[in-house]
Amino acid sequence: MIEVDEKSLLRCPTCEAVNLDKGDINICRRCSSPVYKHRRNRTEKSWAYLITAMIAYVPANLYPMLITSQFGNREGTTIIGGVVLLWEHGSYPVAVIIFFASIVIPIIKFLVLIYLLISVKYPIGKESTVNKHKLYYLTEAIGPWSMIDVFVVAILMALIHVANVEIIAGTAATAFALSVFFTLMAAHAFDESLIKENR
Amino acid sequence: MKIENEDALDTLVICPQCHTLHKEIPIQDGAKACCTECNTVIYRYDSRLAEHGLSLSIAALIFFFVANFFPLVKIELLGSTQFITIPKTIMTLFENRFYIVGLLCSFLIFIFPLMTFLLYLVVFTLLKLGRGEVVSRELLVLLSHLKPWSMSDIFLISILVALVKLIGHAQIHMGIAFWALIVFVLLDIYMTRTIHISEIWMLRKRLFTTQKVIEVTP
Repeated sequence: MIEVDEKSLLRCPTCEAVNLDKGDINICRRCSSPVYKHRRNRTEKSWAYLITAMIAYVPANLYPMLITSQFGNREGTTIIGGVVLLWEHGSYPVAVIIFFASIVIPIIKFLVLIYLLISVKYPIGKESTVNKHKLYYLTEAIGPWSMIDVFVVAILMALIHVANVEIIAGTAATAFALSVFFTLMAAHAFDESLIKENR
Repeated sequence: MKIENEDALDTLVICPQCHTLHKEIPIQDGAKACCTECNTVIYRYDSRLAEHGLSLSIAALIFFFVANFFPLVKIELLGSTQFITIPKTIMTLFENRFYIVGLLCSFLIFIFPLMTFLLYLVVFTLLKLGRGEVVSRELLVLLSHLKPWSMSDIFLISILVALVKLIGHAQIHMGIAFWALIVFVLLDIYMTRTIHISEIWMLRKRLFTTQKVIEVTP
């Protein structure tokens, strides 16, 4: 018989099996992948990815996302510029989708991850009733949707290159794709078991 | 709480959304068990899981191939016609020297969705045949790592957004691959919602423990 403390049980992030917490040598008993092994640098990896993502997000907003060259004159639009342009043209649903996908979701994700990373280390908001597991689950679920803008640019670029009219992706496309990629990495690297320990 | 050995932990489940600990209870065939705190479905029981999974993954793979090798959208602009396929979209990125975006896109909308369903196919085949205890474990680990990176559904919405942007500028014709992609995405969503990876693990455990019992008691 083993005495088990219900609170110390861990859920394997890979196969979801319930595991005993054995400290540094946690290996999932079902799928043998590591279960939150890094006891010393637990938030650093996630921080590193998150900061990279935030740095990449700056050029993503400053440089043009889409370059339209029409009969010789080239015109670049940034992400926000594109949203404004769509709104002025009256395609409100698309403007709202792009606005949410490329501006609201990344910023919400940055803020939530910063909040989670700080709150698991320092006693901020300990009394708050926010379920952090749910918050984390939500950011993981909405995160990939910010890729919409990158895919749209890729589709338009492949679709429109007639003799006189051409659409090319701008520098921001690379920066934005990298930013989304690194936020996803940051979310994956986040150690969910820290939430429980700091409750 | 006291348990006999580590394997007894399999009678416990932790809710994937709110991390509440639950005791697993036997449920009827086709029923689902929900979390008492947040109402998320924690697990289902399906006595023919391997068959269902196998048929779904074969169907999805067929639609995936149609979606990739036929024209997705055709447009008429200034008298000339253009069409795209998924591989062509990715190749255009490489041709215009957007290597990072091209690499990301090829993984997110081509390689990962394909691999996910190939893995499902192999895993369910193995479980149906009752073989490959170690191989199925490795493949399931790989599958759960790949799953969150497959973004076909997001690509589908992107096509719609791109087309709405073009309304009024060009004439748009939907290709056969577009409808195939819709079916593929629906199958993907249906599969993610009904077949949770932890259920495949449970099936695998049921299968290989009964096999061991049979081997011991001849």
